[in-house]
Amino acid sequence: MVSSTDEQQQKIEGYLAKLRGGLRGMNEHEVHEIMQELRAHIVDKTVVGGGATTFTVDSTLDALGSPEALANQYLTVALLSRAEINRSPLRIMQGLFRWASLSIAGLLVMAASIVGYVLGGALMLSALLKLIHPRAAGLWAYPTSTGDLELSLRMGFGGPPIGARDVFGWWILPIGLLTGCGLVALTTRFALWCARRYRQSRVLP
Amino acid sequence: MKETERHNPETGDKWEVQLRKGCLELAILAALWDAKLYGLEILRQLENDSDLIVSEGTIYPLLSRLKALGLVGSEWVESEAGHPRKYYALTRAGKQRAVEMTATWTRFSSRMSKLLAPVKKEK
Repeated sequence: MVSSTDEQQQKIEGYLAKLRGGLRGMNEHEVHEIMQELRAHIVDKTVVGGGATTFTVDSTLDALGSPEALANQYLTVALLSRAEINRSPLRIMQGLFRWASLSIAGLLVMAASIVGYVLGGALMLSALLKLIHPRAAGLWAYPTSTGDLELSLRMGFGGPPIGARDVFGWWILPIGLLTGCGLVALTTRFALWCARRYRQSRVLP
Repeated sequence: MKETERHNPETGDKWEVQLRKGCLELAILAALWDAKLYGLEILRQLENDSDLIVSEGTIYPLLSRLKALGLVGSEWVESEAGHPRKYYALTRAGKQRAVEMTATWTRFSSRMSKLLAPVKKEK
């Protein structure tokens, strides 16, 4: 026969197990600290409330919120805080990837950031490769079969399309590098601004 | 003008929530100004000494963020209750941040009080 105390203990362990499951992706030391801290919190609250009764355990766990929501807060806060400290696009994309797995907002911000970083990176790369492939790298404009003009940012592997015109020529070097760097910086600012807004919206219920 | 246009309680509530959110970080740093506290003690201090009611599921990720930003440090201390508790304390950067935020808060609130003086009289 299961006593009431054992039942309450099982409830607490079940909550903590779900929380641990939701913290996948964080390092083991951080997860261990979170689990230990929350276990201490639950014990302290139930003791203050007069011991591990159904009422005290339920109210303590309810006050913490669902383990999934709590895990999401920890993950988002941890990853975005690190991204704010170290503003490397790689670190930011790691944070955004995890955020994207938690919410639609994160998915949209990640998609927009990928576009920004890829375009910025491609502009810089094309500018640098102009030095190696001067006759093929750069921004090229060429007429399509319908008579429209299309633009193609090329890295220099393979020749430019027939009848294409090199839009910037050697100017792609300063233009590509400056625009590319600017786009990467803007994307970083955009991603962090969105992250801050999201985090602020989660600070209080 | 319709009554709902003049006073929208929903907008008022949102404003108050935003105001509280904006103050939370400063409130936590202030709570830790001259004492090392663990999560539950911080919650109690915020409840007792301010108008801020913070959900328990919010305070721990927030402390985790302040730690990641280097504003607070933490250490485990064995308690009489038989389990260790994680105590938080301000770091030098945290103290600096608290001082800066307090100066901004004081300047802002004193100017707002001046601006609000006629409204208070009217009330």
